[in-house]
Amino acid sequence: MPDGGKVGATSFSSVRVYPGREGCQIPFFTQAASFEAAWPQILQHLNEVADNGKYSHGRKVAELESALARWTGARHVIGVNSGTDALVLLLRACGLRAGDEVIVPAFSFIASASAVVLAGGRPVFADIDPVSYGIDQAAAAAAVTARTAMIMPVHLFCQLADVRGVLDVAARHGLAVVEDSAEAIGMRWDGVHAGLLGRGGVLSFFPTKTLGAIGDAGAVITDSADIARAVSALRHHGRSGPTLGDFGAISNPTVFPGMNSKMDEIQAAVLLAKLDRLDADIKRRSEIADFYTDRLGGIGGILRTPALAARPVPVNPVWYVYLIETDCRDRLAEYLAARGIGTETYYPRALHLQPCFARLGYRRGDFPVAEAACERTLALPLYPDLSLADAAAVCDEITRFYRGGRG
Amino acid sequence: MTPEIPFFAPDYFAGDRDTLARIIHDTGVSDTQRFILGDWTQRLEEALRAGTGAADVVACGSGTSALTLILRALGAAPGDEVVVPAFGCAPLASTVISMGAIPVFADVDPHTLVADPDAMESLITRRTRALMPAHMFSVMADMPRLRAIADRRALRLLEDSAVAQGGMLAGRPAGLWGDAGVYSFVQVKTFGTAGEGGAVVTGDPELGQQIRLLRNHGQVPGQRFTHHRIGYNSRFDEILAAFQLHRLPGLTGRLERRAAIAAYYSTRFAPLAARGVLAPPPGGDGRCYYVYTLLADRRDELKEHLAGLGIGSHVYYPVPLPRQPAFAGYAPAGRRWPHAEAACRRILSIPVYPQLTDAAAERIADAVCAFADR
Repeated sequence: MPDGGKVGATSFSSVRVYPGREGCQIPFFTQAASFEAAWPQILQHLNEVADNGKYSHGRKVAELESALARWTGARHVIGVNSGTDALVLLLRACGLRAGDEVIVPAFSFIASASAVVLAGGRPVFADIDPVSYGIDQAAAAAAVTARTAMIMPVHLFCQLADVRGVLDVAARHGLAVVEDSAEAIGMRWDGVHAGLLGRGGVLSFFPTKTLGAIGDAGAVITDSADIARAVSALRHHGRSGPTLGDFGAISNPTVFPGMNSKMDEIQAAVLLAKLDRLDADIKRRSEIADFYTDRLGGIGGILRTPALAARPVPVNPVWYVYLIETDCRDRLAEYLAARGIGTETYYPRALHLQPCFARLGYRRGDFPVAEAACERTLALPLYPDLSLADAAAVCDEITRFYRGGRG
Repeated sequence: MTPEIPFFAPDYFAGDRDTLARIIHDTGVSDTQRFILGDWTQRLEEALRAGTGAADVVACGSGTSALTLILRALGAAPGDEVVVPAFGCAPLASTVISMGAIPVFADVDPHTLVADPDAMESLITRRTRALMPAHMFSVMADMPRLRAIADRRALRLLEDSAVAQGGMLAGRPAGLWGDAGVYSFVQVKTFGTAGEGGAVVTGDPELGQQIRLLRNHGQVPGQRFTHHRIGYNSRFDEILAAFQLHRLPGLTGRLERRAAIAAYYSTRFAPLAARGVLAPPPGGDGRCYYVYTLLADRRDELKEHLAGLGIGSHVYYPVPLPRQPAFAGYAPAGRRWPHAEAACRRILSIPVYPQLTDAAAERIADAVCAFADR
């Protein structure tokens, strides 16, 4: 370990025992080498945190917010504890009221819908487009009722949902658009960053994300000063005035019933160091994705590689997740696992079929495209630390799986 | 301008900087690439559980979040009432409101500043679901009486023990008098850490299991992507768990240091009661010195006097909860909280953190005594 001589004597290097990861030659995710490469910058930021003496909601978080505002073009970035919290705070700041309906795609991570409930609203699900996995325009339009207040497109895996379609539906019915852009850092619609196409969006910095911390962290991004002000208060117990970097703000007057969703300075330190490498990381992800598509495209008809939806304006993919579709998803995943290759299933169960939404009264068959995606999709290893040799090994094993007639 | 003796400790983890850096580095480059709710978190939970004798300790995102998780696990619902102190920190009211439930504010004891059990009992209605007293500054609430009231009236008892980790009352640790209690690990707390974190502590193993579900999106631990309940993202970072385990053996010593400074203050301040400066009730059972808070007739003058001598102090909380803009809508017209209101005019907290030197404590005590003598 390069810093072994400089740090204290206590060893914490015995973090080892996690079943399922052990012995994986090509893990689904790792950022260990990237982290090591960034360590000198991370350590510099950490030393500044220690010198500042405040370990959450301090100057590093402020520095990260400014840096992200420059990188995304957002007027306001508000650092919080997670992407999920960011969604809850954004919905509240956008004025969601008890009982309001929010149209959400049936295929996403649970937070897209649970955040609506936590903010006091009611999710109404709509089916997705099979190419982008984003909400389907016609399905969204059909889900509008007299109580609908907002539409929440979710941008998944490598591309934006049909932003034009969603904005059209919203404009027609007078609805607000709030984006779940947790996975979408770097994706732009005609030059405008994801999350800034409606009233606001979110970023998740969960470690596996394109820009990942080493713990939970997230942010709200918006061009609206009012929304930014409300989110800033709500994340610090609804307290008014500037609170970043100020212990004493604990006694500021409480103007809204808020929550505690402050970002840790350590996470901000790691993110600042990684943000310097984000452009290079995104380029590297793209190279690996192109390599996969090149090598796996030949198995067409059996296995579907990701496709980019045609859009009326310039858009750019950002390869957070490389998602293939196959009829024999579970068998392929097991085959690869047995050969030391990690995969992930995003997402095995559609939102309308989750037990926590049983009382909403949806049934299997309500959203066939979302349900089919849940049966067929498999994410392959894709991260800057992955070598092309490893990617080739993944492709070789997949090819062998099908040649062996197992498909 | 930072005072020579700041109210909030200037460097909480001075001796542990290298260890913290080592933990962050090793977690970042580890083979397991596990960053939340892993082996370190389990070990921290187990260490705290064994140390308190709780049935379960569940680490989560913050003390506030811990209260929220408990309210949700207990089934707090729109229309329910939860009786809380009128004097305290915002989460006492905001977590209740986040359930759609109604905070009902009870006045506090004029000297100890914790919820008055009689006031709490007098506010119980048929809609009351729970009592949520809070330990305040250095004093634990009267939990034996509150426990008896909750039992007699068949109510749930939530113990906001966020500030009292390490405190004991009648042989029972803070957090374990209620159906569930909470700890907060935010930096300034008695077991503060290098970021945000908290825990639910409970004697009820089934409640613990529900909290485990709720803290991670309603998933049963080990079964990803099936969500049984609407849950939260309120998880614990591995780096902070490893750091807390490193800091745990020193906790007793730091608590003793806090108590020693407080005992010294109490000796020095005992004669000042007749001169308009009232010290908190002195040490012993049910005391835990997170914050040392004086009640001063001429509070603002005292604050200025200390500032002039380079001594930081802090007023928390300057406004009772039902008088804050966020919660005023829950305050019935005409209801008063005279003790809470008087406290807000008189409270002043002075430094009591473990890094405070004897010389600094003496300087602070001299300054307070000199003021009272004026």
